[in-house]
Amino acid sequence: MTPLLKLHNLRKDYGGLRAVDDVSLAVPEGAIIGLIGPNGSGKSTLINLICGSTDLTSGRVVYDGDDISGMRPDEIFQLGIARGYQEPSLYFKMTALDNALLPVKNQRGEKPWYAPLWRSWQNEEAQHAKAARDALEQVQLLQQYDRLASDLSGGQMKLLEIARALMGQPKLLLLDEPTAGVAPTLAYEIFQQIARLRDDHGITFLIVEHRLEILFDFADYVYVMHLGKLLAQGSVDEIASHARVREVYFGD
Amino acid sequence: MINIDIGATAVAVLTLFGIYSLMAISLNLEYGVAGVPNFGKALFVSIGAYTAGITYTRLLPLLAGDIAIHPCGPTMGDALQLRSEIMASQPAAGFVNLGLTFIIAAVAAGAVGFAASYVTLRLKEEWFLALVLLVGGETVRILVRGADDFICSHNGISGVAQPFYFIQDPRTSALFFMLLALTLALLAYLYSQRLLHSPYGRMLKGLRENEDITRGLGKGVSLARAQIMAVGSVIAAIGGVLFALNTGFVNTNDFVVTLTLDVWVMVVLGGIGNNRGALLGALLIALMDRFTQIGAIALNMSGSEIEFNYVRFIAFGLILLWMLRYRPQGLLPESRLTTGAHAVVKREIGALQ
Ligand SMILES: Nc1ncnc2c1ncn2[C@@H]1O[C@H](COP(=O)(O)OP(=O)(O)OP(=O)(O)O)[C@@H](O)[C@H]1O
Ligand SMILES: [Mg+2]
Repeated sequence: MTPLLKLHNLRKDYGGLRAVDDVSLAVPEGAIIGLIGPNGSGKSTLINLICGSTDLTSGRVVYDGDDISGMRPDEIFQLGIARGYQEPSLYFKMTALDNALLPVKNQRGEKPWYAPLWRSWQNEEAQHAKAARDALEQVQLLQQYDRLASDLSGGQMKLLEIARALMGQPKLLLLDEPTAGVAPTLAYEIFQQIARLRDDHGITFLIVEHRLEILFDFADYVYVMHLGKLLAQGSVDEIASHARVREVYFGD
Repeated sequence: MINIDIGATAVAVLTLFGIYSLMAISLNLEYGVAGVPNFGKALFVSIGAYTAGITYTRLLPLLAGDIAIHPCGPTMGDALQLRSEIMASQPAAGFVNLGLTFIIAAVAAGAVGFAASYVTLRLKEEWFLALVLLVGGETVRILVRGADDFICSHNGISGVAQPFYFIQDPRTSALFFMLLALTLALLAYLYSQRLLHSPYGRMLKGLRENEDITRGLGKGVSLARAQIMAVGSVIAAIGGVLFALNTGFVNTNDFVVTLTLDVWVMVVLGGIGNNRGALLGALLIALMDRFTQIGAIALNMSGSEIEFNYVRFIAFGLILLWMLRYRPQGLLPESRLTTGAHAVVKREIGALQ
């Protein structure tokens, strides 16, 4: 299978600190790829580099055959790469529904010359509202659709972030600890949902996750980072029994 | 005792309310909705006023079939007499001139607003824009003041009559001008309400709350901001044209930083992000303007030497402090919903149950 995303020798320096050090990896289309590593190993920085929200020091990001290094985050999103954040990053002063509607691409009513002409976009907006309804339902947030995002629980915030990212109809979804702050049963359900999205919609996932017991049930392949470098990669079984990984990760 | 003509005072306050509403709505769209701290409101208002200064002296005589007389220097008096006569006897020329003034002012201010935002906001620090516009506004004012031929430097242009000047009875004439100001304010209000409750308004609110996330969700943030600056600047410039017509005078002294601060007080007082709040703020400041003025006159007559401007500044300072302490969201908090999408979802859920 041709990889949907390929990273070539990515590097990011923060002053003297090399947060990401010569990382190359591949994410095949339709896969669920895990990215693990101890705190501060550079996982979030790597996600930021792929999305363009942090500038690369060097290296290349190739998505769908095109070099996207140096592109702006909005351009990268338009190409089909969406993300979730490690810290809850919603529009807290908006309702859950508005959070979900904002990322819809190519909205007619987003053009300032159409915006005042309600009739020109109202039908389209109603269609988007129905899609958002479905997205909220998928993450069990439909009952909360008109609550402010700030009034949701920590776990619900993570779920809303996933629903919001899906509204951009991404091909590749990068999630940074999607189950942080979520109760164990719901955390498992989130991953079941991720697997369904992959199976039904062909969405590809790169997931940073500390809950290895859940991740290992769903991931097709796992990369391990340590001090900015790629320490190991392999199938779940290979990683689970990898001596160096166990040493840095579990302290055995 | 001073006699207050209630009818004339009401007309004056409502005219001022219409003009201030345009300015407040413009800042509310930019700062209240989109979070762009435009500290150059006086600049964009002044573009409207300067445009009126130019058209009344250069364009109006041509429209009336006369030859334009140089408005400054030795021919100043003749030029003033000519435009007063035209405004008194040829209403059609006056209206065409005003229409063109609105168009020129809108195009000029919109272009400046768009360019200022696009250039400075690419630097990521939005307060840089605030600073550039604050300083830029003052710089433009000093340049205009220094230019002898533009609007006659420190003399300014007088006789910038409102278009109903041809009506003999000054009260009727003032009443019509008030209706013009209120109509334009109403149009601006309806337009901005529609803008606010649209996907574009939602995106602007999004970038006000979190620019990085909004960019990460695929929105061209710099462009959206430049667009709302253009819209806001057009509305401000139309307010500026009316402002000049209301005083009958175009003078750089009117467009100092305090005008910008007045508009900020209106928006902070009325409710940031709420267009009705902007109207309320404009009304309260228009009322306060009148009554601090009357109050100051009364004080002066009773022998005190307090100046009108001081009374006004002190009152504004107290209002701002009180608001920040007790009601930072303003008198009218903003609406949480954006478009009609909530009604759609509500209906859908209802249909399922
Ligand atoms: N903006 C920044 N400026 C300076 N240093 C940074 C910045 N962002 C991250 N770092 C540093 O880069 C290193 C990697 O951080 P990163 O957030 O990518 O780790 P992580 O693997 O996501 O950790 P965690 O599991 O705790 O989220 C850390 O040492 C961090 O301090
Ligand atoms: Mg992290």
